[in-house]
Amino acid sequence: MIKHLIGLGVLLAVGIAYPAIFPNNLTIAISVLLFAGWATSWDLLGGWNGQVSLGHASFVGLGAYFVAIGQSQFGLAPWWTMAMAAVFAAILGYFWGWLTFSLRGPYFSLSTIAVAEILRLIAINEEWLTGGATGVFLATLPEPFGIDLFSRTAQFYMALAFAAVVVATVIVISRAQFGYQLRAVREDEDSAMAAGIDPTATKLKAFMLSAALTSIGGGIYGVVLAFIEPHVIFALLLSVQIALTAIIGGRGTIWGPSVGALVLIGAGEMFRTTFAEANMLIYGILILIVVLFLPRGIVGELARRHIRRLYAKRAQS
Amino acid sequence: MPNVLRADGITVKFGGVTAVNNVSLSLGSGEILGLIGPNGAGKTTLFNAVTGFAPMHSGTITLLNKDITALPAFKRTRLGFGRTFQTERPFEELTVLENVLVAAFLTVGRRREAERLAMSVLEQVGLADRAHQPALDLNLARRRRLELAKALAVKPKVIFLDEIMAGLNPPALREMIAFVRSLSAQGLAVLMVEHIMEAIIELSDHVIVLASGEKIAEGTPQQVTSDERVIEAYLGTD
Repeated sequence: MIKHLIGLGVLLAVGIAYPAIFPNNLTIAISVLLFAGWATSWDLLGGWNGQVSLGHASFVGLGAYFVAIGQSQFGLAPWWTMAMAAVFAAILGYFWGWLTFSLRGPYFSLSTIAVAEILRLIAINEEWLTGGATGVFLATLPEPFGIDLFSRTAQFYMALAFAAVVVATVIVISRAQFGYQLRAVREDEDSAMAAGIDPTATKLKAFMLSAALTSIGGGIYGVVLAFIEPHVIFALLLSVQIALTAIIGGRGTIWGPSVGALVLIGAGEMFRTTFAEANMLIYGILILIVVLFLPRGIVGELARRHIRRLYAKRAQS
Repeated sequence: MPNVLRADGITVKFGGVTAVNNVSLSLGSGEILGLIGPNGAGKTTLFNAVTGFAPMHSGTITLLNKDITALPAFKRTRLGFGRTFQTERPFEELTVLENVLVAAFLTVGRRREAERLAMSVLEQVGLADRAHQPALDLNLARRRRLELAKALAVKPKVIFLDEIMAGLNPPALREMIAFVRSLSAQGLAVLMVEHIMEAIIELSDHVIVLASGEKIAEGTPQQVTSDERVIEAYLGTD
């Protein structure tokens, strides 16, 4: 755990220096960081706990809408609305989990698609609150300590802090009792019960935490976008991208989702600028390669080989 | 001998089929109760009903005079049940130590102490040298012992062993028999489902014979193995 926290600290230091070194590449870095945070949050439920959600755009959207509506209609600062969004997302996660966690297999995943769809329809139809299909525009933001939150540098640091907090959370959980409960339930629910673990309660806790963390990143995303449209923010594509990022990087690993974000979002951006039309094709091939040759994801596969090598060495000596 | 576990009138139905019909049993601390019967007799079903893994149609279960009939399986574990599964079910992606750690966390919340408990249980079952190996890589005999370690790490008062002897070679079988005896010597109540008569006869204080979901005989190993109904159930009549 100490090793991972030190690693995180080093990365954080690099991140803090980043805007000074690459002042022109902030937008893409913000995307990478937000996706790293979202995918890591997703992974708490999807990877560590084995409950694959295809509806995490719901929580991104909740965060973004809370921030935008809070600011434009009620004059509430983003940090308050992000906290509110986190609580609301956790409550939504609780109820959704309570309804669906008795479903085993793919049914939970399928049902999560509906959550984002329902929220999208609410956002489109409740025009008085959400601006309907046109969306909400974020025209003003408070300036805490004189910091302009519309500046990319400030947004970069918010995204960096978000990603760091989420990864740190997972590092701590991975060593704690809760982390083992998550994995036990993922591996075998009956066997987990035989160890005194309540599978449903475990899944609910994971879902609530995952949802809350994701929505905080969603709030930052709202500030970054400054213009929130329901069909973009609640899109299935976004949910799938979050899940894919974690899966490609390595489910149930500390660094996998972040590596996934770097590869998918970073490479995606590179391809978009270099190959123009062909970028989706190359993106697709990249995903195919990982799925075929690294079924546990990039970090998952590396970690496994490392463990086996270690064990082989120990067995020899 | 004071009762640790009592099960009265256990009946389990699957649709119209009665898998277990009105079976009762009781078990004191340090006692070993063997549950035998031909295939399909309802042994594992009874076992699952008592441990909370299969729904019961009727019956009551008490653990240390506390009615636990309505409690889900994980709460029964918390009150003192430990069980193994007939087909071993390790948490495959975890190491051997982590597998046991999951169970050890039930009674000790702190990581360091939980790890110590898990390690001592692994030593008890002879898997300490495998602690850091992925559970997936264990062979059958070691997987069995891992099942046992997981069941013991919850610090149970009653341990349920579902065919832990099956498929073991003679030396491994001897070891397992000695191990189960050592558990009862420590005061644990043991309920075991077993096909291997050698183990049943050697270990059981008391044997219950099931056939077609009914209790057809009960008594010491010697009594039941000479019981005509039992021989009939096993060998059939012509």
